Parts: sequence; C-alpha cells; structure tokens
Amino acid sequence: MDYDLSPRESAWRDEVRAFIRDHVDESLSRETREVGNEGRGPRARKFLDALRDRGWWGLSWPEAYGGLAKTAVEQWIFIDEIETAGAPMLPLTATSVAPTIMRIGTEEQKREWLPHINNAEIDFALGYSESEAGTDLASLRTRADLDGDEWVVNGCKMWNTMAHMATHNWIAVRTEPDAPKHKGISMMIVPMDAPGVSVQAIWVWPGLRTNALFLDNVRVPRSYLIGERGMGFYYAAMALNFERLSIGSVGMARRHFRALVNEVRTREIDGRRLREDPWVRERLARLQVEIDAARMLGLETAVALDRGGVPASESSMAKIYVSELTQKIADAGCEILGLNGQTHAQEPSALAEGRMQWLYRIAPMLAFGGGTNEVQRDIIGFMGYGLPRK
Amino acid sequence: MNFTPTAEQQELMNAVREFATRECTPERLLAWENDAGGIDDATLRAVAELGWLGVGAPEAAGGTDGTLVDLACLVEECARGLVPRSVTGAIRAVAALAELDPAQPLLADLVAGRKHLALALDEETARSAASYRTTIGRDATVTGGKAYVPDALAADVHLVAAREDGGLGLVLVENRAPAVRTTAVKTFGGDRQAHVAYERAPVAARVGAPGGAETPLARVWRRQTVLALAEMVGGMDAVLAMAVAYVKEREQFGQKIALFQAVRHQIADMGTTCTAARHLAWQAITRVASGTEEGFELASAAAYVGQAFKRVCWASHHLHGGAGFVVEHRMRFHSERAQSLCIRYTPEAPALAEIAAALLDS
Repeated sequence: MDYDLSPRESAWRDEVRAFIRDHVDESLSRETREVGNEGRGPRARKFLDALRDRGWWGLSWPEAYGGLAKTAVEQWIFIDEIETAGAPMLPLTATSVAPTIMRIGTEEQKREWLPHINNAEIDFALGYSESEAGTDLASLRTRADLDGDEWVVNGCKMWNTMAHMATHNWIAVRTEPDAPKHKGISMMIVPMDAPGVSVQAIWVWPGLRTNALFLDNVRVPRSYLIGERGMGFYYAAMALNFERLSIGSVGMARRHFRALVNEVRTREIDGRRLREDPWVRERLARLQVEIDAARMLGLETAVALDRGGVPASESSMAKIYVSELTQKIADAGCEILGLNGQTHAQEPSALAEGRMQWLYRIAPMLAFGGGTNEVQRDIIGFMGYGLPRK
Repeated sequence: MNFTPTAEQQELMNAVREFATRECTPERLLAWENDAGGIDDATLRAVAELGWLGVGAPEAAGGTDGTLVDLACLVEECARGLVPRSVTGAIRAVAALAELDPAQPLLADLVAGRKHLALALDEETARSAASYRTTIGRDATVTGGKAYVPDALAADVHLVAAREDGGLGLVLVENRAPAVRTTAVKTFGGDRQAHVAYERAPVAARVGAPGGAETPLARVWRRQTVLALAEMVGGMDAVLAMAVAYVKEREQFGQKIALFQAVRHQIADMGTTCTAARHLAWQAITRVASGTEEGFELASAAAYVGQAFKRVCWASHHLHGGAGFVVEHRMRFHSERAQSLCIRYTPEAPALAEIAAALLDS
C-alpha cells in the first residue's frame, strides 16, 4: 500500500510546479479576480497559450492524437497544482470536446476538427442545459431537423458560458423526436457566426457572465452531427467522465483556505491575535481535516480511473464532498475575517484577496451545478452500493 | 500510488476473515462477554497457533517480525469480524513490548499465548506521561494507580509507565496480590478494563533505560494509535456493509426501504465517509510505518476517522431501527468499539489542537 507519489509522478509534479513558478504571477492572479469572467483576460490567454506550446492541452489525449496520455493520477496532480496556484484551468475545448471527438467522431470529423483545436483556432462553448432541462437533461427540447444535406436547428440553450467568446458551440439537440427521450439526442457543432445564432448575457451572483444561446433556423452541414445519431445523451455522459477529476478537485478550496490561514496568522483584533482565538483554531483545524479527506476522495477517483474503471461513485463522492466543504470554508472565512469578510476583491483593504465573500457566493453553484448533489448521492447508492432502482 | 495490500498481507487478511466468519458468531460474542478473559481458552490457543499474536514480535521470540503495516492489516480484519478485543489487545501488547525491548524473554511466552501482558499507562486523572503520579522507587518497586487498563485482570504481567528519578521509566510488574490489586471496571467496548493499585510492587524487569522512556513510549503510542485507525476502518466497513444489506432487504410501505431517496442518501453519505476515512487512515498508517510523514497526517486521520466511525455507526443504527437494537445484533458491538477506540486512541480535541498549531503557530 503506497500513498506516496511514484518517482515518475513526483517528477511530473515538479515539472508542473516549475512551469507555474515561471508563468504565474500576481498580475495573472489579479486579472483572474478582476475580469471576473472565467479567466479569459489577456494574461490568462497568454498562460493558456504557454500551456499549449508545452503540449499540455493534450495531457489526457491518446498519443495517436498528439496527446501525452498522462495517467489519471498525473492529470489529478496537474489540476491540483494549477488550481492551488490560482491559475486558469485548461479550456473545456481541450478537456471535454476534443477527447469526445477522438472517441466517437468519424475519421473525417477528426481530420476536420482536431487540428484546429490543437492550434487553438477554434474554441467551444458547451450547450447542454435548457430552461426546462437542467438536472433532467434528457428532456431537452432544442431540435435539429434534416433538410437535404443540412440540419436546421431551433431552440434555446441556457448557462452557455463562454458563448460570447467562443467560435463554436457544442450542443445537445433532439434529432429523433419519436424515440424515447434518452435515445433521441445527438451532439452537434454549431459555428457561432452562422446566421440565426444569437447570444444574450446572463450575469450570475458571483459576478460571472454566462449566456442564453438562441438558435433560430440555424443551418449547419450534415457532417456537423458528431458520432452517431441518437447517442448524444450517452456522449454527454462520457464527456462528463473526462471532467470527473476537475469536478472533484479540492484545489480551489484549498487555495482560498491557505489565504485565509495566512491572514489569521498575522491579523489582530481588539489587541489580540486572531490565531489565539480557540474558536478560530478549532474551526480552521476542522476544515484542514476535511480538505485532507477531500484530497483523498479525489485521488481515489484518479486511482480508479487508472485501473480502467468508470469511477462514477467515487467521483460523485468527491464532488459532493468538495462542494459542501467549499461552502463551509467560505462561511468560516467570512466569519473569521469579521467585518472584513464581506469585502469585495477590488477594495485595497480586502483580506485573503477578497475571495471569502466571492467563495460564499460561488459555493452554492458547486453543489447544484455539474449534476446536483442529490443526483450524485443517487449515483453513489446505485453504482457504489448496488441499491435497487425499483 | 497504489492503494492495495501486498499478496502476503491480503492472504493474512483473508485468513482472519475466514476465522471471524466461522468463530465470531452472535452466540459466541455474547458468551465471550461473560467470560473473565473476554475469550475462551480454546479459541485463544487457536489464535496463537495461527501466529497472529507474534506478527509484531521478532523471529527469535517465535514471531514473524511483521511491519506496522502487517499489524494494521491484521487488526483491521479482526475489527471487521468482531474478533474479541482480548486478541487485538494481545497483538498490540506484543507489538509494543517488541518495539521497546525486542530481546525481552517474556515475548516468547506472549507470542505462544502462554502468558498475557497488559499495557498499564493511563491514570484516573492523567493521560500524558508528564502527569503520571505512579512512581518507580529506588528499591525497584512500583507504587501508585493505573486506570482503565485493558485486559489488566487476566494479564500475568503489566508493562507499567511511571515516574522515577530523572524522568519516565518503563517496567514489567507481575500481576500478583497483595502488591498488585486489580479491580475490574465495567466499561463498554469489550476490552476488559480494570483499575490497578500498585503498593511497592516488585519490578520484574526493566524495559529500556531508567528515566529515558518518554521518547520511546511516545513512539509506541503513535504506533498504537495507527493500529486503532486500522481497527476503526475495519469496523466501519463492516457497519456500512450491514446497513447496505439491510436496506436492500427490509420492506416498509410495500417496498424495499432502499428505494426511499432519504435512505439511499444516508447510505451514500456513509459510503463517502468510509472511503475518506479509509484513505486518511491508510495514508497515516503507511507514512508512520515508513517514517515518511510530511506533516500532520496522523493527527488529521485521528481527527477524522474516530468521528467518522461513530457517525457511520449511528447512521447504521438509525437505518436498522429496532432490528439492530437487540443485544445479539453485531451493530452494538461495533458502536461500542467505535467510542471505546476513539476515546482511548483518537480523541478529537488534541488532534485538532495539533493541526491548529501546525497551521498557525509554526
């Protein structure tokens, strides 16, 4: 039994850390806070370009597609280090869309899309949810009808984050209206400059922009349906599989916890050092224990992936645990910093980079987004412990 | 990273599992509760013959010179199968003495199950060595009192930690009246505790140098804590498995209760807790074993695992309802052990204090 990194894993971690030392500085961190928008300011773009130059967009890709075919544990190390450093994460184009095309696309589709992704000429937003299809994704209504050699797409996608910056959209559409609802969905690529595509901004509580995507008689070539017709729901589930390590990563929470601890170490209130307050000490120690536990759950997912399994139950455990822990860290952080804990990041007086109130605002999303925690608990019951479905 | 035991360790664990399934039946668990030694002689002999008592002892003493990880594998399975605490207590005592004094002649008798040793450390108002009041006199006798000593009544010899000139000493004392008076104290958890009064009790042998026991004892105690983590993980797994089996089988309102989302979600949370606990525990076990701790892994595991075991037990009791509340049911044995192990080895407050100090004071 060995909980230590192997020499190869250690060397990889050192390489990632060295890269972060060379490419992440305070100005990048400040930009990700200020833009308040998915980390796509000029410095973030430069950082992502540097990752791409290194070949690291293809961390998880098979070698046949120019990827590095890193193990899941190595990918976990990468995610953990990047998040802990507060650097921008790889775009979903690289981590979700590209691997899906590699698995399910025809040879022609691979030739058409993968080189452009590799060269960062195209960037996708992901369009799954709709206003009436959230947790129950299979009830989505956006439809595509074949007209000659083109699909005609009509409908509206919600929470289409990055659509205002993306060149393309990766959407789930109903192509088989008469099939059972899980079997009537296909995955399709829609260029953002196609006539009939429009985007409306939706601003959400943590100060992030997401979008509604409107598709009004949008015509796309027949070959833009990726993989097989009617398999879209399963492809979406597969794409989620590629995201399991990120979704269950405690890196971001850990980063903000560290910032909080650093403030507590030096701050005084009423002439007394905050770190001497027994309530503060106990609360921080409890959170640290939970962070340690969360890291273990994330690693468990990675180890299970490397054994060749589909760690649905394991990754659900990590997702639930990290999302609920982030809420606790945010709440404790705001309270421990006292009146300063409500301060926005742009205020010069803000402690812990002003992130505690931001974390407090974004934390609820972690629990309902990415598959609600209720669904995750069902998955653990069904997949992890074989509980009956009916 | 590799989260699996070696083939040899797995073999040992399988053997324990088979033994426990065969021997540790509800009827015998109840009978052992009423046995002064916590186990009948025949079963204890069988355990000794299987070699478990000597896993932590050197080969010269008839042991197998196993590592701390081997010991953890062993006691995890013992706990899963509710093997009597007298057995894990004996395994622990042998390991402790072997770590302190591998050449101690008593070890051979302990390994063979001919004699039994109790670790007499805590006192009624002292849990840390600095506060012990029991003393070793210059006339080589022990005077004072030890409290909540597991297996003290049935033990032939006590390993006593006491103050002496120049610091802390460790000695072996024969459990013989009138100098040693042992009084059973009714506690739960099945580890047969007793209070012991020593009145000029003769030292049978010294363990380590006079006055120099503080560091070795602290080291032994960390390793004993590590074994508690393994026991907790084994017990927790058993409790979860019982709960899962029960909710799949129990019907109310015309359906299996597992179909209720409120029930399913409790299983999910228990599973998550057990998974995190297992890995925190085993990370601590392997790091302490190899001396490669990077920070406060042991404190973190102690703070999490003990509480987790109790939480999982209570959830399982809840899901079992009345069925799990009868004295024959295995649930309450695990629940008692959860609290008993937690109080002794992994109390939450000092573990959190250690972590807070590492975060804030260094």
